[in-house]
This record gives sequence, structure tokens and C-alpha cells, in this order.
Amino acid sequence: MRLKLYRAASVAEAMALVRAELGPDALILSTRRLAQGVELTAALDQADPPEPEPAFAPEPPEAPVAPPPKPLPGGPQGLGFHGLPASLAARLAGPDLAQSLRAALRFGMLPLVRDGPPLLLAGMPGAGKTLSVARLATRLVMAGISPLVITADGRRAGAAEELAAYTRLLGVGLVVACTPATLARALAQRQPDMPVLIDTAGINPFAEAELADLRAMASAAKAASVLVMPAGQDLGEATEQAEAFAPLGARHLLATRLDLARRLGSILGAAAAADLILTEAGIGTGATDGLTPLTPEFLAERIGPSPGPPKIPAPWIPAQTTVPLRKTPSPVTNWIRG
Amino acid sequence: MTVMEHALSHDARPARAPARRIAIASGKGGVGKTWFAITLAQALAADGATTLLFDGDLGLANVDIQLGLTPKHDLAGVLAGRIALEGAIAPVPDAGFDVLPGRSGSGSLAAMPPGQIETLLGALARVPYGVLLLDLGAGLDAHTRRMAAWADTLLTVATDEPTSLTDAYAVLKLFAADRANGDARLVVNQAASQSAGRRTHETLARACRTFLGRDLPLAGIVRRDEHVREAIRRQTPLLTRHPTCHAATEVRAIARGLTNLHLP
Repeated sequence: MRLKLYRAASVAEAMALVRAELGPDALILSTRRLAQGVELTAALDQADPPEPEPAFAPEPPEAPVAPPPKPLPGGPQGLGFHGLPASLAARLAGPDLAQSLRAALRFGMLPLVRDGPPLLLAGMPGAGKTLSVARLATRLVMAGISPLVITADGRRAGAAEELAAYTRLLGVGLVVACTPATLARALAQRQPDMPVLIDTAGINPFAEAELADLRAMASAAKAASVLVMPAGQDLGEATEQAEAFAPLGARHLLATRLDLARRLGSILGAAAAADLILTEAGIGTGATDGLTPLTPEFLAERIGPSPGPPKIPAPWIPAQTTVPLRKTPSPVTNWIRG
Repeated sequence: MTVMEHALSHDARPARAPARRIAIASGKGGVGKTWFAITLAQALAADGATTLLFDGDLGLANVDIQLGLTPKHDLAGVLAGRIALEGAIAPVPDAGFDVLPGRSGSGSLAAMPPGQIETLLGALARVPYGVLLLDLGAGLDAHTRRMAAWADTLLTVATDEPTSLTDAYAVLKLFAADRANGDARLVVNQAASQSAGRRTHETLARACRTFLGRDLPLAGIVRRDEHVREAIRRQTPLLTRHPTCHAATEVRAIARGLTNLHLP
């Protein structure tokens, strides 16, 4: 592990130094406020060369060790491997997969803007809401924008503490607000031009009372809701979940665990069934990076019949989306996409 | 009569549970590892655990120096076959625990072949104590690594210095490779304050969680305390010389945390 301390006037500047020197895989271990500026401790753990024969036989592992991850699919298995719903698979049959994806599904940005409605992340327990909030907050801080982060997760033990661990590193404030009334009060603290991220408790969307509670929170915050859904589920389950969340009024979908799931049919099928806009994909466990725009080109590479030559990312163009495009996108929106 | 004398005064020792093995490592030297091992041994003994402190720093042993002992026998004699392992164990006067001293500057100990260390560990596994503490050397040589992997619990001692954190992480990384579900915990030593100590723990725990996929529980924090240095210079255990200073209190708390969980 290479460990290094960075001092700078702001967290954003210190993070830029970390990335420039240690690269995007660096992990921020701690953040400390100094009289002038901040001190970041960052680390990078390089891959080891294989060990020589040990001088003694190590004890056999006490639990089965997970096999090394297989290469991510795409490749020879093609579309059939991904378990897409038949109707969607038929629409993706054209020669240009990215073009077919663009026509069959909706793609767009997360509606996260400085002066816009708060962004509320909703989903089943364990979907990856908290880590996604942390990643979005990291992205904003690195762009020099300090967001207001609110957690409405009063159910899970340690939920606020988990998010607090990230916000402490980022040097941004965290407000815990578990009822519609406290949430409205928390939002009253919002500074002008300050984007707001709201983490929520995971709910069972098939339980009407839980869904009603979450709706009350979203409506108290006048928030734009985003459905957070892990990839790799059963297609039927994912589709029904996405439809069950419909009363919340979420129009966007943020997919997580794309580094763990090999099949993307459930995410795409759920987005198609519930008419959700595909926005970003969570990849990996680090919070400094790890959200990738979920574009037709990215998906075509993941699910296409052959990997093909690396594609130069095309400028992102939202197709068939009902999201009103801003004539002059705010700096945040620009940055989010870029 | 020490536990050892008591045990040796009977021809047939009663069958008993094997000692709980606690290894103490740090990677980097000079972070207070040997001092901590001695003080922990005394605290465990005061809590009623029959405790043997084994000086596992094979090339640069100095548990006996810190305790002001002049042992008749040591590990070198055991390995040379001049004396049985039990015969080299000596009581620490007024401290309530026993010690198996090493020998500083012994090239033969440091260069022990792998088969011999297995024999040594086999003998240590049979000593009639409740707790066996292994004070491991700095560095990551094969013997140190083997003894860490052999223990039930690995206590890693670190300070807030980047070099100490990096070396402690290296110890934890090898331990994680050798023991899939091993019990490794952190002792933060020479902390400026409790909150600074917690920060040091969070820093290292985050690296372990992310890079190794392992939790790193905190065994405890020992704040910087001038009494420690004074006791070391006097070659007297801290709990004997300054039993109420805050470092003494904090090591006692760590001992209780260890015994509460696992000792019968």
C-alpha cells in the first residue's frame, strides 16, 4: 500500500492532487481540517507479483475462497445470454446495436441541478442507494460544489453513520431527517444554488404502507425521485419491482453492481417496462469514482455480439426523452455528464 | 510459586485447554510493541489469566532487557538442546506472569530453519498457561509471518505515522492471506488523544475494508504518556511503577476486552 498525505486549500483541490498522482483507483482514507485548508490521507494498493514458495505451508483457508471473477460478458454469448424480455430483444435485432438501444430505451441525465428539486434515491434494501449518494456527492465536491446531503434512513442500524463516514471525508454536512416534517425543515437550510441529495431507507414496494411513507417524504421535499436497482436480478422480479415503485413518480433509473452482474437483461427489461430513463451505472466499491454514464454505446459494448474495437465515446445525445433540455445547462449538469 | 513452578511440581500435569495465543506485531519497529506486550501480559495476569510472554523477536530479543531480568536460560539454549523449553521459562518478579526470553544478537535464532520453528511452536502449544503472548519482531520475515498466522488473535500495534500505518497494513495483508477468517485487531499506541486514536483506526480500517475486504476491529487506544518512557528507562513494568497513569488504565481496558470475549 502506498500511503500519502496531501495538503491543499480545499477538499476538491486535495482530491485533484490525489487523482493526478495516484490515479482514479486511489482511496481517500481520511480527511482532516487544518487551520488553513485540509489534509487528505490517500492510499493505493498495488497488485503484488505472485509470491514465491512460502517457507511454510499456509493453513488451508477456513472458508471457500471465491473464484476469480470471470471476464465480463459481452463477447461471444451475445444478446441471448443477457435474458432480455423477448419484445425488447426483438427490437435490438438491428445491425447497429447502439442505435437500436437508443431507439428502444430512454437514456438521459440524472436530474441533478444546482437550483432544481432535490434528488431522492429510492429502492429496495441493499440496492446501493447510500453508496450512490456518496458517489454523487464526491463528484460534486470534486467539481468544487458543496451539496446538502440528507439521509432519511431511520430504520437501518448504522445507516446514517455509513453515509456520515463519506460526508466526513468530503467535508460536507449531513442532515438526518426521518419524517416529512423534519425533511421539509432540513431543506429550509438549503443555500441558493446548492444541489441536494436525499438517501432513503430501503423499502418493500409491494407493501402499501411503506410506499406511502416514502411518497410522503418525496412530496414533502418536492423531490425528483430516482429508482436505484441492482443489476443481475431475475427479470420478472426486477420488472415487477420497477412497476411497483411507479406510484413514487420516479422517472429515472440508476443501475448498481454492474461490476458484479454478468447479465443486464433485468435492468433493461425493468427500464423498458416501467418507462424509466437509464442514467448511470455503479461500478466498483470505491466512492471516489465508480459511476459511469449508462449510454447506448456503453451498453452495446457490454451486451453486443462481439467486443469489437474500442469505441470513441460519442457526445451524449438524449434520444426520445421527455426530460426538458435546458438551453444553457447549469455547470452542475454539464459536469455530471462530462 | 509461579504457575510454571506449580505446574512443574507435579509429575503428571492435568489435561487442560490449550493456551489462547495472542501475537503482537507492528511491522515497523519503535512503535512500542514490546512495551505493550509486557504491559498487556501484566494486565492479563492481574485479571487472573495465567500468562506466558514469549519473546518472538528472534534476532533482536529484548523483553528481558525491558524487564531488567538476567535470565539463566533462554530460547537459544532450548533450540541448542541444552535445556527443555519449560526450563527456560522464568517468572517476572512482582508482575504475576512468566517469560520465555530470547537472545539478542543470536544469528542462529534468526536463521532457524522452517522445520525447527514448527518444533518450537509445537512445544509452545503445550505450555500450561491460559494465555500465551507472542511478542513478534519488527519486519515481515518468514518466522514472524508464521508465528502471526499461528496465533488465535493478532494484535497489530500502530501509531499515526504514515510509515507505521503502511507497515501495519502490510502485516495485516499477509495475515489476511494466511488466515481466511483470522482475528486481527488494532492497538493504536502513542495517540495524541482518544479522538486522534479513533481517526488512526478509521484510516487503517478503511484501507483493510477496501483493499482486503476485511474488518479491522479496534482493540483499544493507548495515549502518549511520559510515564511509559520513564518506566522503560527504569526497566520496571509500567503497571508496577505507575499503576494509575492513563496508559496503564488503557492497557488494562484492552486486556479486559480480550478476556471478556474469549477466556473461560
